[in-house]
Amino acid sequence: MSNPFREDLVSRSRPEACTVVIFGATGDLTHRKLIPALYNLAIDGELPTGVKIIGFARRDKSDEVFRDGLKELNREVSRNGHDEEIWGDFENMVEYHQSEFQDADGYRRLAERLDAIDAERGGKGNRLFYIASAPEYFDDVLEHLKSAGLNESRDGCWSRVIVEKPFGVDLASARHLNEVVNQTFEEKDTYRIDHYLGKETAQNIMVLRFANAIFEPLWNSRYIKQVQITCAEHLGMEGGRGGYYDKSGALRDMVQNHLLQLLSLVAMEPPTDLSADGVRDEKVKVIRSLRQWDSPELVEENVVRAQYSAGHVHGKSVVGYREEDRVDPESMTETYVALRCMVDTWRWSGVPFYIRMGKRLPKKATEISVHFRPAPNVLFNATPGETDEGNVLVIRIQPDEGISLRMVSKIPGTTLRLEPVKMDFHYSTSFGKGSPEAYERLLLDAMAGDATLFARRDEVEEAWRFIDHIQRGWHDSGEGDELSMAEFVAGSWGPEEADALLEKDGNSWRRL
Amino acid sequence: MNRSEEMMTAPENAELLGVEVPVAKIERKLRELWEVDDARANASLINLALYSEENGDLARNSEIVREITREHACRALLIGRDVSVEKVSVRSWITAHCHLVHGKKSVCCEQIAFHLTGTSRGRFRNTIFAHLQSDLPLVFWWQGNLSGMFNESLYRRIDRFVIDSSDWGDVVAQYGRVNAAIEEVGLVVQDLAWTRTYHFRLAVASLYDDLVAARSLVGTRSVKVVVSEQYRTSGLLLLAWFAEMAGWERAQDLIEDDGHGGSYRFETREGGLVDASVVFEEGGAPIGMIEVESVGVCLRVSREVGGKHLHHQFISEGHVVDLHGPVDSDFRAELLADQLSRGGKNSLFKRTLPTFLSLLHWEGS
Repeated sequence: MSNPFREDLVSRSRPEACTVVIFGATGDLTHRKLIPALYNLAIDGELPTGVKIIGFARRDKSDEVFRDGLKELNREVSRNGHDEEIWGDFENMVEYHQSEFQDADGYRRLAERLDAIDAERGGKGNRLFYIASAPEYFDDVLEHLKSAGLNESRDGCWSRVIVEKPFGVDLASARHLNEVVNQTFEEKDTYRIDHYLGKETAQNIMVLRFANAIFEPLWNSRYIKQVQITCAEHLGMEGGRGGYYDKSGALRDMVQNHLLQLLSLVAMEPPTDLSADGVRDEKVKVIRSLRQWDSPELVEENVVRAQYSAGHVHGKSVVGYREEDRVDPESMTETYVALRCMVDTWRWSGVPFYIRMGKRLPKKATEISVHFRPAPNVLFNATPGETDEGNVLVIRIQPDEGISLRMVSKIPGTTLRLEPVKMDFHYSTSFGKGSPEAYERLLLDAMAGDATLFARRDEVEEAWRFIDHIQRGWHDSGEGDELSMAEFVAGSWGPEEADALLEKDGNSWRRL
Repeated sequence: MNRSEEMMTAPENAELLGVEVPVAKIERKLRELWEVDDARANASLINLALYSEENGDLARNSEIVREITREHACRALLIGRDVSVEKVSVRSWITAHCHLVHGKKSVCCEQIAFHLTGTSRGRFRNTIFAHLQSDLPLVFWWQGNLSGMFNESLYRRIDRFVIDSSDWGDVVAQYGRVNAAIEEVGLVVQDLAWTRTYHFRLAVASLYDDLVAARSLVGTRSVKVVVSEQYRTSGLLLLAWFAEMAGWERAQDLIEDDGHGGSYRFETREGGLVDASVVFEEGGAPIGMIEVESVGVCLRVSREVGGKHLHHQFISEGHVVDLHGPVDSDFRAELLADQLSRGGKNSLFKRTLPTFLSLLHWEGS
């Protein structure tokens, strides 16, 4: 039954009332991101009436204890602050369900509980299952949801699943997981979350490209020389993160999902419409068009991996990666990776896309820089000693979200001196109001059935195919040896090998 | 201008408007403001003009702009017109409102205040609008009753026209002029009386997400809106929105207008009759309540005077929803800031307008 009063009230698909079941409800993600996101939606009046939240986890605790834990963290991290009155209403929506992930009876009890909630709500039985548990339980959760019949859409109501990363650890495991997911939920009801896509500036990439007529005519190999995507983190393995990270590494943890998603947004063709599949059809074509580095030689030529050694970050001395807590002292896991990617399409022929991601770099920054070809070497550019740098368009994803354009200008004076200057747009100074957190937008989209900002099965698998070739090149070079692991001092911008990767093309990393 | 003439044309609290500068030197003096401090960033996304014919409003509006610029970078033009003085004159002041963003960078917005007397043809174009920042949209907030200055040559230049119909005496006549401008040039109107209803509308919509509530809509018998008398147009707009979204038609003329509100009757799509009323409550909240009753069912969104939340309730046999939600600000500066954040072309307001005007005329008939 449609709600006529929702019409036109907000300019996007309408989220519908549902019960959100979070698997892994005692984890950090639930406490720091998911519950504060739902609470902030409630504060903004965006959460549909009738939403219920059930935390599903193994630990034995009461509703009250669970709520108290959520409240404590919400006070700390909520974007809009913490209002006791609204929290009071909000926490009444939250319940705790104790069960092992492998316990069939726990899911049967969950089904009964959901039915009771639906009856109380007047029969509306929309369900949103959020799998935020450790990845090894994904299969169990999905299979038991199916056995309990919780995956079925009934009486015009829907049943959807959101799956957190990591979505597999390689192509084979991703395919297996996709099989399990799709045996349980239809692809249209599956939402693979990549929180980078919920960030305001990531969403703005398409707006920048397709709502401004000046960029698209230049957005090709004729005018663009190279594209760089950088994700720099100054943190290392604080908070016991080394255990997880050592099994994953920079390539699988960040490049396979977030950074390839950004690349696809930059390189995609204009979609025919803004429907979820319209956009995702174009994004997957980009990933599919990535030239495969499918031999150890090609990997060595186009990919650099490295680990940080002891150094200084933000004035503090830090240990090297292999000395970090919960990290194997002989670890061959990369904390830094730099790739040269080629998108073999008509539009991008010959344009390198460089991606770099690293821990313990000098600062935290994620940005995309589009480097235009320099103007012809005549007139001003013919003057000896003058700059031949081209224009650079920078899209800053985080922090200090914004866009800047570097151009060349005459320095005031009687002589002709040219210097690069920067036109800058900062979200924070132009729009005083803070942007919603990525999870707020994404949760609302899932309730509204809009999958545009979620990864589709083929996107995930194509990305893994690309990553798997690199992993194989590193770990299985044919002679039983691994390809070399470079090293760089913590607090520097990465190994020399990464600089050399660009120098071969006559390029250099943008200074951040 | 001699000393006595100057005194006569000075606005109240002119010292709060910044530095007085000759009109011809406004832009140069503004540049000088920035030259003294490199650490500040000058930002603007819109031109925001605030127009008033009430003496003393220039200083008050400067305070409003200070609040608005916390969230909305703009070039602000304050225009005060003293209609009691016939002699044509213009005086101007400049200042900047600076705020720390995230505790770090100081971001400033320029403000130019004009005090006008007398009537001079084309003065908006050649004196005031000459100081708009090029390419940025013009949001024009007209405070108080519309005067002869509200004419086509003015409203053709405006991208968003902000009013607060709660200020108006003769709402029918004033809205008649606004509606004519909408029809003539497609003026985008943002009535703060409408903005004031935002969270009430959101709350009602949210309650009807509930399946039991949604099913009850078809059997609605009555709708009651309670407002403080000054906010009568907000009450009518809320009622008009409800009727429009529910697909109801006006059933007959005003049943009653006893000076404490008005009663109306609508016909639903299914042919049922709904009694509706807008009731004034002395000393109450600007909008105190909307209550919708069906057989055995009551949906209510209410607010106490000074309350920081709206109370959302849906009560039927064996099924109760009882929640609290956000409320619209009682301060105009914050209402305008909220409205600017939402942006858009106000299509829902335009959709509601014919029903609202019909209720207004209903009363007037």
